[in-house]
Amino acid sequence: MSEYAIEVENLVKVYHPGRRNEVRAVEGMSFRVPRGEIFGLLGPNGAGKTTILKMLNTLIHPTSGRARVLGCDVSEQPLEVRRRITVVIQETAVEMFLDARDNLLTFARFHGLSPAEARRRADVVLERFNLHSEANKKVQDLSGGYRRRVQVAKAFMVDTPVVFLDEFSTGMDPILKRAVMGYLREEAARDRTIILTTQVLSEAEELCDDILIMNKGREVARGDLHTLKLLSQGVYEVTITFEELPAAIEAYLASLELMRMEIHQTTVEVALKAEETRVLELVAELAKKGRVLRVEIGGASLEDIFVELMKEK
Amino acid sequence: MSAISAILYREGKIRATNYTFLFWDLFYPLGYLLVFGVGVNEAMGGAFPSGPVDYNSFFLAGVLGMASFGIAANTSWTFFLDRDNGIFYEMLTYPMTRAEYLLGKVLFNIGIALFQAAITVALAAALLGVHIRWDLLPLLTLAVVIGTAGWFYFYAIFALKIRRNDIFNTVTSIFYFAFLFASSMFYPLEPLPAWFRITALANPITWQVDVLRYTAIGLGNPAQIVSEAAAFLLFTLGSYAYAVRSLDQQE
Repeated sequence: MSEYAIEVENLVKVYHPGRRNEVRAVEGMSFRVPRGEIFGLLGPNGAGKTTILKMLNTLIHPTSGRARVLGCDVSEQPLEVRRRITVVIQETAVEMFLDARDNLLTFARFHGLSPAEARRRADVVLERFNLHSEANKKVQDLSGGYRRRVQVAKAFMVDTPVVFLDEFSTGMDPILKRAVMGYLREEAARDRTIILTTQVLSEAEELCDDILIMNKGREVARGDLHTLKLLSQGVYEVTITFEELPAAIEAYLASLELMRMEIHQTTVEVALKAEETRVLELVAELAKKGRVLRVEIGGASLEDIFVELMKEK
Repeated sequence: MSAISAILYREGKIRATNYTFLFWDLFYPLGYLLVFGVGVNEAMGGAFPSGPVDYNSFFLAGVLGMASFGIAANTSWTFFLDRDNGIFYEMLTYPMTRAEYLLGKVLFNIGIALFQAAITVALAAALLGVHIRWDLLPLLTLAVVIGTAGWFYFYAIFALKIRRNDIFNTVTSIFYFAFLFASSMFYPLEPLPAWFRITALANPITWQVDVLRYTAIGLGNPAQIVSEAAAFLLFTLGSYAYAVRSLDQQE
């Protein structure tokens, strides 16, 4: 069996080829993901992340190129691929007429679990996802957040070696999201490979061993967080908390060439690409505008790197 | 095989969540026979130009054909529901082939259709005095099975190809009108104008209903029935192949 969970070579996907509405969603992507890794596909809307996932999930056929999941070709051995994967698609995907427990049991049945094992796992998963009180309610009577919870919970019912999660945290509350991120790390530690797409960059920053940033169907950057940060040397994040927010600070900041600016109550957070001395000058200038309670200067976050890379491309 | 049993389990679970589903699944055609059929039979006072049988007997096959057609139309609608709920796409990533997915769904519907047919035929004999050809029962069963499968696959093609509910609704309404009324379901074709007869003879519902009528009450020309059965079988195989292809092309 291949040492890689995922192998993608010159993968191309063109929707409606040759027609007026032709869309070149993926343009010759190549990458490999070792087993047991948490791999993040990042990119703005329309970058082609979901299209890549759909090809790897056997939902759509590649136009050209090859993709393999644990050595099985997605075009030639789709059933073998499906036996090795669990997929959380971007849209909410639940059995509306069934209750939460039956959603889990039905999913387990499709993946070949015995009824007794499925019931045992369902109890564990319902507990982990805090779904016990909703277990016997029809999913159509649950809120959107709970529906998503049921959907993501299904991925933990089975032990397929590869799990695909397309924006899994959409609609989840922060506490559950944190818990699910912990479960994903546990699964990766058990040698399951997790492939995820997300727009929430802090999520990728916290979770992923390896990140591929793409835009317009092409790779923009690839590596672990440390490698990506090196791509963006000279980018700094400055956070200053004032006792009271100085008047006209927003206008002052807007006059500067900043990559990002956010103001939360009395805290100002900016990201900029500049020499170290210029960063210190900026902190000094800001300190003149009001009484400062806290100053923090750090390297770029994944979000800053992402914005910087998108600008460059 | 486990994939097919999982689909049967899923469909059964969904049906069991609402007993009105089961009631309509099992008794809807019988209701048609007892209300519409008996009404027409009584209104005509037994003077029905279909040879040696009354309207109740004649219409029994129409009701069985209508049941296959109705089950297929309703099931195809569930493709839309599943697509709206996202579960359709998730299911396509489950460990099964596209053909198994369709086969599982059709087997469940065949089960429902056989239940319907058993209840309808038994009560037609008991309550309306319809003389059933019990010796042809295995052929009648086969006709119900193939009829349900044929219409299921036929409708699945449209449900998979059409993405908008409103367009699909329009198509099914047209199908109901065209297939059901331009056929031998409600009336014998002999007294009708030539253009109508030709149209009806090109309609797969006519092929199916004629076979059902022959196997249920023995009415019809055996040579014509054989050719109609063969034509319907081809229609079913063609629809199956195209439905699997349509499912494979989902993007």
